[in-house]
Amino acid sequence: MIEALQAMATVALDPTLVLLVLAITVIGVIIGVLPGLGATTGAALLLPFTLTMEPVHAIAALATIYVSATFAGSITAILINTPGTAAAAATTFDGYPLARRGEAGRALGIAVVSSAVGGVFSVLVLCVAAPLLARVAYEFRPPEYFALAIFGLSMLASISSGGAVRNLIGGVFGVWLATIGAEPTTGIERFMFGNYELYEGLSFVPVFIGLFAISELLVQSKAAHKAVEAVRLKAVRLPSREDYRRIWKTILRSCGIGTLIGVLPAEGATVASMIGYAEARRWSKDKASFGKGAVEGIAGAEAANNAATGGAMVPTMVLGIPGSGTTAVILVGLLVHGLRPGPYLFTEQVDKVYQIFGAMLLANLMFMALGLFAAKLFARISLIPARTLWPIVFALAVIGAYALNSALLDVWIALIFGLIGFLARRHGFAVAPIAVGLILGEMVETNLQNSLKMFDGAWWQIFTQPLAALFLVFAALGLFGSPVLAWLTRLRRGR
Amino acid sequence: MRYLIVPSIIAVFSILVIGAALRLDLSPALIVGESMQPRVFPITLMVINLVLALILAFQYRDTTPVKVPFEGAVTWGSVALFGLFYLLTVYVDMLIAMAVVVFLMALLWGERRLPVALAVALVSPFAIFILFDLVLRVRFPRGLFTNWYYG
Repeated sequence: MIEALQAMATVALDPTLVLLVLAITVIGVIIGVLPGLGATTGAALLLPFTLTMEPVHAIAALATIYVSATFAGSITAILINTPGTAAAAATTFDGYPLARRGEAGRALGIAVVSSAVGGVFSVLVLCVAAPLLARVAYEFRPPEYFALAIFGLSMLASISSGGAVRNLIGGVFGVWLATIGAEPTTGIERFMFGNYELYEGLSFVPVFIGLFAISELLVQSKAAHKAVEAVRLKAVRLPSREDYRRIWKTILRSCGIGTLIGVLPAEGATVASMIGYAEARRWSKDKASFGKGAVEGIAGAEAANNAATGGAMVPTMVLGIPGSGTTAVILVGLLVHGLRPGPYLFTEQVDKVYQIFGAMLLANLMFMALGLFAAKLFARISLIPARTLWPIVFALAVIGAYALNSALLDVWIALIFGLIGFLARRHGFAVAPIAVGLILGEMVETNLQNSLKMFDGAWWQIFTQPLAALFLVFAALGLFGSPVLAWLTRLRRGR
Repeated sequence: MRYLIVPSIIAVFSILVIGAALRLDLSPALIVGESMQPRVFPITLMVINLVLALILAFQYRDTTPVKVPFEGAVTWGSVALFGLFYLLTVYVDMLIAMAVVVFLMALLWGERRLPVALAVALVSPFAIFILFDLVLRVRFPRGLFTNWYYG
């Protein structure tokens, strides 16, 4: 533990890393305040820029954009009633009404402090929980990893956007995408249709840039001519003693909720903020004030969504299962930079892991300072018209897709997946399940194959492994628990 | 019957994939051993998707989801610009293609000030190009501009 703390402290002694975290925090906040450009799109666009960085710097940059953009979504949520990121949607419920009452500075102050406390809390939990989970994960063999990946996929059924069935279809499609290319054990080519550039499979980066950035560009085209009206902001105010008295319990509760939800595979900051908000309302003595500018509502949503960022890093780094769309991009970053996620990361490269955690901690403190002193400036950035912003995003996306392998095919893949993502979203399908499926695809198939080899083809033996069985039971509960419960309730009412 | 369109597309796609998977080569038993043939996993996935598409059809029958409205001309115009980008990249140059598309996209999205659209079109692709070329050492594909630039 002392070694871990020392590794985290070295972040402060590395001026390049400190400057990088500062610069990326500024970029993250800018991305967060620009409606449509959330943490996931930002991370996908940033990924190609990190290619020449050292692994720790690269992952620290991606993690920084994750925490800072997640926070910054609240600035526009409060000032213009447009959440910069989906995770800040719950902040609009009370943040905007409070701003309309002339208390925008107070609302932002509460959002900044709650977000920072949530973020710092979750990084501390990450530092303690990740190595503990890694110790458990050492015992995992192929059946456990297979069951865990199935559990991760089953959680797609409950993520916020899209319906359960649609999310699962997206997840299965993503897993299928992972089968494109040469099959790892036999070398048999699958679904390449004679294109040998696909021999090693679809590259994650262009697919992600397509799904998140280019599809978002097409979605945002509906708002191309939309005029934005901002609420006046004089200065951000730190919460008063009375505010602290009202929100401290809410913040603590949301820290726990957010971290826990973040840890669950495939869940993320959006779900966390919604539940954080709902719980803040449930426990409040003044429920009637919610929706009209309740400070607990802002604190509940903001502490939870930033707490989810650290939580989501736990399964990402320890098990290789992304906790959200953005952590899926971070996972790709880890792979690109040769940091294979899994328990061995915590023994073989422990220094690097804790430096990344240290950078996340630093990012939380930096966005707090930026939020308090420069929110007014960042709020103005949100007024950049879409007609200027999105053509630039197109240029960034195209070059970003090309940069990893210097292959034009990757650019076409990004554009095709942009169109696929757009059409999917047009019909109510979320794109994050496709990304999660693509990442988990190899894990599912390889571990299923290895399990079959272990048990001489007797697949049912997977269920005899206690941990694997437990994960599969959780997966079944995730998939069928809520419909069965609804059916039982209907049955009882019918009587 | 409109509610059947999306589930049908998913079902047709799944069937096509199953068809393609059935044509995959078989691996010798010596290599596969007690594991599964490379075609089995994708076929299993698509069977799952067929079942999910069926469930989706039943769900849509009860409540067909409302399509998210998109601004047709701008959205589909942007898609058409992707096609133009492809043609210009293949036959002219990637950087020139990007500048042209960024310029046209700015106009399509409502920019009425030509100097602003031109500035965005020239500054953003070339600034990104210089960053990637000089800092990140990414070599761009040969074309009209890059032939001149690389010599």
